[in-house]
Amino acid sequence: MADNTTVIGKATRVRGRLTGKADVDVQGFIEGEITVSGDVTVDSSGIVDASVRGRRLLIRGAVRGDLLGEESVTLADGARVVGDIRAPRVAIALGALARGSVETVEDRAMSPASARVQSVARPATSAGHRGAPATAGPSRAVAPALVDRSTPKTQASVSASASVATATASADGTPVHAGPRRPPPPVVPSLKKAKAQILKKRER
Amino acid sequence: MASTVIGAGITIEGEITTEEDIAIAGTVRGKLSAKEVVTIEPGATVEADVQGGSLVIGGALTGNVTAGDRVDLQAGARVVGNVKAARVTIADGAQFKGNVDMDL
Repeated sequence: MADNTTVIGKATRVRGRLTGKADVDVQGFIEGEITVSGDVTVDSSGIVDASVRGRRLLIRGAVRGDLLGEESVTLADGARVVGDIRAPRVAIALGALARGSVETVEDRAMSPASARVQSVARPATSAGHRGAPATAGPSRAVAPALVDRSTPKTQASVSASASVATATASADGTPVHAGPRRPPPPVVPSLKKAKAQILKKRER
Repeated sequence: MASTVIGAGITIEGEITTEEDIAIAGTVRGKLSAKEVVTIEPGATVEADVQGGSLVIGGALTGNVTAGDRVDLQAGARVVGNVKAARVTIADGAQFKGNVDMDL
């Protein structure tokens, strides 16, 4: 077969799981996990509403779900990702939006079991960095093709330098959250009161 | 070349809805709704109810088939299910078990 790439076209919508061995190119909409041993490309018109797992992931479009690359994960300019990113090599280009934790892990740590354990354990970590104190975590996670393979694991929340680069470059100005995910701020009762008073005034 | 291609070695479990041509060389389980041409290539396995503008079937299909225009079963096709379309052709060498409904 000449071309073994699977293409989900622009006017196509898939609700369900996509698994297999070939490369996948998503230009349309997928609502369901993608698990392939080939490369996955999510084009600028592509939307994936679930986790994506493949050899090399190239994201130009939108993904809401975790990204797991056996070799690498690349977020190109214009990518919008809400979810955790995990791969031996991770690159986030200027102009890409990311929200979630980023972890560069060695290939051996990519087995499904350990990946699951890590994702479960993640919310419990309070600080942004969990890697060895001597390593410069964030910059390493961001710089494309600059991953030092001698360090077994470097973890960084998409905060420090990554979010500075991405947040300033984002076209719509959507800020990237600094630090680990926090619960929303509590509703201030006095605000409610003030609003009620304003509404009352208007009624008169 | 169809705009959406499910390559050999790929399995989709769920529902596919498309408004463009779709070619399937892999495996699809669930439901497939298309407005244009649906091509099920030789070697493909489809276990789904299929709806489309017109259908060309060369692979294995289990499920009911409805087409707005026509359904062509090519030689080598293996279809189990009911076929409903204005025009239906079954090539010599196609295996088929089910009802044909060409009412309009």
